[in-house]
Amino acid sequence: MNSWIKILLPPAAIIGPAVAGYATTYLSVEQAQRAIFPGASFTAATVKLTAEQKKAIETASGVRQRSDEVKAWRVSGGGWLIVDEVIGKHEYITFAVGLTANGAVRGVEIMDYRESYGGEVRDPKWRAQFTGKTKAAPLKLDDDIKNISGATLSSRHIAEGVRRLLAIHAVALQ
Amino acid sequence: MQFLSKSLVRASRRSLGLGGAIFCAVLATATESQADEHLFGWVRGAETLPGGHADAYQFFTLRTGKAAGRYEAWDFDTEVEYGLSDKFQLGVSVEQHYFDIDNVEELDNQNRYQFGGVELSAKYRFLSPFKDKIGLALRLEVAYLAQDDVAGIEQEEIDVAPELVLHKNFLDDTLITHFNIGGKFAWGKKPAEEYDRELTIQGGLGVAYRFAPNWFIGLESHWRSEFPKADFHEHSVIFAGPSLHYGAEKWWATLSYGYQVYGQGIDEPRNGKTYAEEARNEVRLKVGFNF
Repeated sequence: MNSWIKILLPPAAIIGPAVAGYATTYLSVEQAQRAIFPGASFTAATVKLTAEQKKAIETASGVRQRSDEVKAWRVSGGGWLIVDEVIGKHEYITFAVGLTANGAVRGVEIMDYRESYGGEVRDPKWRAQFTGKTKAAPLKLDDDIKNISGATLSSRHIAEGVRRLLAIHAVALQ
Repeated sequence: MQFLSKSLVRASRRSLGLGGAIFCAVLATATESQADEHLFGWVRGAETLPGGHADAYQFFTLRTGKAAGRYEAWDFDTEVEYGLSDKFQLGVSVEQHYFDIDNVEELDNQNRYQFGGVELSAKYRFLSPFKDKIGLALRLEVAYLAQDDVAGIEQEEIDVAPELVLHKNFLDDTLITHFNIGGKFAWGKKPAEEYDRELTIQGGLGVAYRFAPNWFIGLESHWRSEFPKADFHEHSVIFAGPSLHYGAEKWWATLSYGYQVYGQGIDEPRNGKTYAEEARNEVRLKVGFNF
């Protein structure tokens, strides 16, 4: 029995904390709103997408629209804030995108990032690449968006997520 | 489970020494990063470590079941890898075995630890599975094996094993496929085997689906055919079975099972199984850390 304990101790020591769960929340919705639109007020305007809208979003963005619901807020003075998720390597990455009244990206904030590598997606310089992008932008890695080594999947999915939210704005928020 | 406990306890007393020490050292230094995560027990993907980062694995493999008698062979592989660049990584591993064999044809009864050998590996990624249409990597292993993995018989094997790795993702990277194909050129297999040189053609195929955050379930198959002196067919075997993978922020683990679905060996009954150098079942647990 003692030998069994010795053998099982290392994996148990590792698995225990992991099973208990780990999540890093960097920003709440309110904090993301204030970061992108300082001083503005927000009106919740959650949108339920129709099948036709989902198809139009997927056609425009080239990205699958998984959810039927869009968590959006109308910003005082014009513009929108949308909170959404993309698939990370292990878990979902929650992010917020602020759009100007003209449909250009005002800012991107990473709210939850639980991956073990690629925390650079929270780097302001990397996120600044999205500022000013419109639905006409490619939003592709190694094109107008720089890749992050070791976190290519996360980088690509965030870029695709922004592209999809720009399509949502064009299809369902105007 | 009794057969597992007896041999594993014995194995733990001796063979886990070196690998365990390395493994614990790795645990103590594990921090954050993640790449080259193994979704399968035997089949590999095309990802590589980011430059300047390292990872470490501990493999526990149990091979059990022959035509008759009791055969339990444990393999303990401890591996450390380092990314020289975002596309190129090097690795070194130590292989150890523990054999619990009783009344198996042509094998000595034994209950003992055996040092296996050391292995160096290099992997270069040409195409990324996340950016390109398909991931492509070339992997090369060079090994010195002082004892064979069938029964720990002495040898002076040096082998070189190039492998092509293909990796394709679907459905927003939630459905993942890997395909490996390669060869192994071995010298110095006497006296473990009758002939000194051997060519092995080997490969594998795996399909995994992310059914929940952190969790992948999959099916994999791996196979090999061996040709002594690169001259005649000695045996071929195909294993297939399920795999389960959990990936967390700082570590991951994969449990895989392979059943010998087909085998054929020279001078063996033509009954769809080969046991001279293979076992009926293979179970592998991998635990990996990135730091």
